[in-house]
Amino acid sequence: MKKLALLAVAVIGYSIAAWAVAPGFYDGFGPPQAYNFTCPPPQAGANNKPTSGHLDIKVIDGVSDANSAFTDDGQLVIGFLPGAFEAGARTTVSVDIRPLDTCPQPPGIRLVTNVYLVTANALLKPDKRANLVLRYSNLEPDPATVYQASDPAGPWTAMRSQPGQPFTIETTTTTFGYFAAGYSSSSPAPGAVTVGGGQLLPIVVAVLIVIVVLAGLPLAIMRRRSSSEKDS
Amino acid sequence: MIRVGPIPRLRRVLPHRWGRAGLVALLVLVLEWSRALVAMQPGLTVGALILGGVALAAVAAGWPAERLGLGTSRFGIRLLGGLALGAVLLLPAAVRAGAAPLLPAGLAVAAVAVSIGEELAFRGALYAALEDAGGARLAIVGTTLLWTLAHALSHPAEFLPAVAAAGLLLALWRWACKDLVAPILGHVIADLAL
Repeated sequence: MKKLALLAVAVIGYSIAAWAVAPGFYDGFGPPQAYNFTCPPPQAGANNKPTSGHLDIKVIDGVSDANSAFTDDGQLVIGFLPGAFEAGARTTVSVDIRPLDTCPQPPGIRLVTNVYLVTANALLKPDKRANLVLRYSNLEPDPATVYQASDPAGPWTAMRSQPGQPFTIETTTTTFGYFAAGYSSSSPAPGAVTVGGGQLLPIVVAVLIVIVVLAGLPLAIMRRRSSSEKDS
Repeated sequence: MIRVGPIPRLRRVLPHRWGRAGLVALLVLVLEWSRALVAMQPGLTVGALILGGVALAAVAAGWPAERLGLGTSRFGIRLLGGLALGAVLLLPAAVRAGAAPLLPAGLAVAAVAVSIGEELAFRGALYAALEDAGGARLAIVGTTLLWTLAHALSHPAEFLPAVAAAGLLLALWRWACKDLVAPILGHVIADLAL
């Protein structure tokens, strides 16, 4: 009885603790840190607003240093090669990254990350592409492409992209503007399993409960019978 | 014949048992952290999870199946317990998330490998070693603490209370039912579904 009570307490404790965080924390499949959503999905739980970033790059003799600008939460990182900017007579080049306050969903595209506006007070040289890395959440389907637009209303252009470290996607760019990662909504999400209208998790849990109840009842009856036979 | 009382016997045996428990704890922790660090490298996630799972499972090699909780008696009930544990582990996410994305198919094999490996290492070998050293209470608390610590590199800090609570639940099951089949099955279900 004591063991059963302790197990029950553990179940309650686990339920409370698991309720407090986003699902998907079991074995390192989740990203190293929770994603900060502009528009959090319902399953995100407690959510911090995404942060912005700023970088001043030194320019010496007209050549800008190699450096990387990133948001404080590391959700967007953009790296620049030495001499990447048309710096002119400037002594520094300023780069700003700002998450958009809204979450546009352009037709035909499903964006799964926040939209970020990356700006600089100098243009990039066409032969010195900047490397842009976007982190994404495990709570949304994996993005297939980084998209870029000069206006959040579009049009959005798919960029040649590749997966980076887990839960990141990379691309290169020679222009600034709005960036976000997503996939074409006309095709299924990459790696997505669509069963039961996307409600597979509740279905799995319901099936498990039904199996446990249906199989548990006969087992309990059999045990009771065998113990009563022993008693008699 | 030399008679050995309980205290001298304890003194004689304790260093060996504590040493073994410490060694298993260190090994499990190093394997988990190595797995987590390698899995962060691009393209190495699946390999690190599978190899990590195999390496963790190897920690349990040499232990009798009964000491690991892997007996076959009442196997139906053990399996049923595993399904029940799986349901408990997934229930908060199912209630709140509804359409939470599933693990991509490519990671499913890795999920199974690492789930089995972790259970054999933590609730299997480590639990048995700690129980030998200091009893069931130490085994439950020790495996829960090390389980949480082992996930510190792969999980953000805010996830660790839930990780610890899951570890405590699985360890209590291991103690209450002397069974590892159900924790393995429950863990596999939870990892596959999330």
